[in-house]
Amino acid sequence: MLPASVTVTLFFVIPVMMTFVFSFTTMSSDTGILGNRYIVTKATILDLTEHGIDAALVRQLGHKVFRFNDAGLAKIREIGLDSSLVKEIEEKLSGDEFASEKALFAALKQLINRPRSFKHRKAISKSVVNTITNQEFRTAAAFRAGLVANGIKVDDATFGQLLDLTNTSWRWTTDNYVELLASDFTFKILANTAFYVFFTLLFNVGFALVLALATFYMPSGQSKFFRAVWLIPRISPSVIYVMLWKWFTFDSGFMSYFLGSLGVEPENWLNEFPWTFVIIVNGFVGASMGMIIFASAVLAIPADVLRAAEVDGAYPMQQVRRIILPLMAWPILFITSYQTLSLLTSFEYILLLTDGGPGFFTTETWALNAYHTALSNYFGNLRYGFGATLAVVLVFFGVALSLLYLRLFDFKKLVAEPLIEN
Amino acid sequence: MDDRKTNWPLTLFLLIVSAPILIMYVWLFIDSVSEINIESIWPEKFTLRNWRFLTEEIPGHGSVWTATLNTTIFATSVVAIVVVLSSTAGYALSRLKFPFRAPFLGIVLLLHSFPSVTLIISIFLMLRMIGLYDTLVGVILVKAALELPFGIWIMKGFYDTVPWEIEMAGLQDGASRFQVWYKLVLPQIMPGVAALAIFSFMAGWSEFVLPLILAPSSDTRLLSVYLAGLIIDDYLSDFGLFKAVGLFYVVPVMIFYLFTQDKLMNIYGGGTKG
Repeated sequence: MLPASVTVTLFFVIPVMMTFVFSFTTMSSDTGILGNRYIVTKATILDLTEHGIDAALVRQLGHKVFRFNDAGLAKIREIGLDSSLVKEIEEKLSGDEFASEKALFAALKQLINRPRSFKHRKAISKSVVNTITNQEFRTAAAFRAGLVANGIKVDDATFGQLLDLTNTSWRWTTDNYVELLASDFTFKILANTAFYVFFTLLFNVGFALVLALATFYMPSGQSKFFRAVWLIPRISPSVIYVMLWKWFTFDSGFMSYFLGSLGVEPENWLNEFPWTFVIIVNGFVGASMGMIIFASAVLAIPADVLRAAEVDGAYPMQQVRRIILPLMAWPILFITSYQTLSLLTSFEYILLLTDGGPGFFTTETWALNAYHTALSNYFGNLRYGFGATLAVVLVFFGVALSLLYLRLFDFKKLVAEPLIEN
Repeated sequence: MDDRKTNWPLTLFLLIVSAPILIMYVWLFIDSVSEINIESIWPEKFTLRNWRFLTEEIPGHGSVWTATLNTTIFATSVVAIVVVLSSTAGYALSRLKFPFRAPFLGIVLLLHSFPSVTLIISIFLMLRMIGLYDTLVGVILVKAALELPFGIWIMKGFYDTVPWEIEMAGLQDGASRFQVWYKLVLPQIMPGVAALAIFSFMAGWSEFVLPLILAPSSDTRLLSVYLAGLIIDDYLSDFGLFKAVGLFYVVPVMIFYLFTQDKLMNIYGGGTKG
């Protein structure tokens, strides 16, 4: 009981709250995800001059010196170089100083046991380098100590400026929400999502009903066969299922071959009709779930009722319309609402099939866009904060729709008090 | 209904709409062992070249065996965690009275219907912060946690169908609550435990999005991510290879399903009979 509640809290309740927290930050792969980070980089040095920091100080900040002192030698011993090389460095280079990495490498080349790989030379240079540039400091105090260690003196006012200019960490912001409302893509993606959910749902529920009813009116051997076939997409891993669709629609795949025999030029049909296939691919998987639920719902209808209708001369179509469908209102409602939610939030099949393409945002849905923004894109900068903002919208829908189910499906009965106490 | 006669138009219609599935999976077998002919979909010649990934690494993609081992560890660990935690928590929720029971059950129910991918961004960031990013342990914990609400919910359903009399009798005879659970109640719901274990194993074996995002590197990669990596590799466009790897990946789960489908269907039924 306790472990279960801890795990559920840790990986479920906290993530929901953290999604909100992250959505109010500028977190991205550029800023990192941990707190303050002070780094003097080449870019910040240019920036510093523009902000009126004393040129002499800027030069000092960019200064690099390679010192073979005790600290540097200690680090060299930890690299894991040949002991002969370490010994030679200790004998020949101890106490030396180099103004550039080039000079250092030249000196290393003179050694008898000189390091052969670039990796090793770089590791030596890294061990003996003394500079403030590209060093990462997590606190202001550490940054100050770093400056002092490199012999750089700054007054408090300048230090304050430096802290501000070198801090690359994320900040709190509400800009994500402003951007979401202002962006042109928001509407495009919203429209895509609505289109995708509506038509996939139509396909899903429609096909599930057709399958469940058709197999109900078939000899049991046939119905078993068709149900088994339709369960295959659900059982097989998504990666394989989508790969097979890609082959099926590929320009040398089955569709092109089949249509080719009718005189149609081979095409990459997936690229020609991306939405059609996104809906079909998702629909085939979704239909199998509806099929199982609906099939058992049809079987639950008392046989007497159907027999009575048959005796009274009702055709199968009339039985379906007048008796079966009205009795199945609840399962249909359940499947529809359940799948609305999962279609809104899942992006696995679209990611594998079109990845939002072909072209720009053609089949990009909301959930897929959140994933692209925060976790995988071509622009290099992963915008965690903005991605979380997109996810907040989904979380909101998720919670609202889940609460709705609980109301529809009689929550009180499900949490009834146990009979034995303690 | 056994008295149904074959309705040919109906059967034909179903055959046509089911054709893509049948064709795709039949050609999964065919193409994995044949040389692909661009002009036609009919196989030219039998070959085992597509199966070369078993003995050699596909350049840039690492070993399939690492991925297979990872997938096995992943799926079995998820099963172990989900089964142990859900069968205990389900019992507690079904039979014990403790503070915050109703709110907890409410949260579990809410989460059960709540799609977990929504949380993937904050889970990713949290794993980065606590240092479990790109580890098998991290992704196992996340997957198990996301499966738990479903597991607890299903197990509670099974416990609810066990008659109270069994436990009352056990307690009367002086057994402790734990003994009652372990010796009397648990055997009653074994079909449920089996169904949940099978379900979690198949879910774990097939999982793609979580490992893709949370454990992408070649040491921690699962088979699903390995195969997806092959497919999107621009230097490979070899459906024969993809299908062979795909078959290698899907066959265990298909066989597993064939042998366990009767037990798995219990998950929709719920509980012992009588």
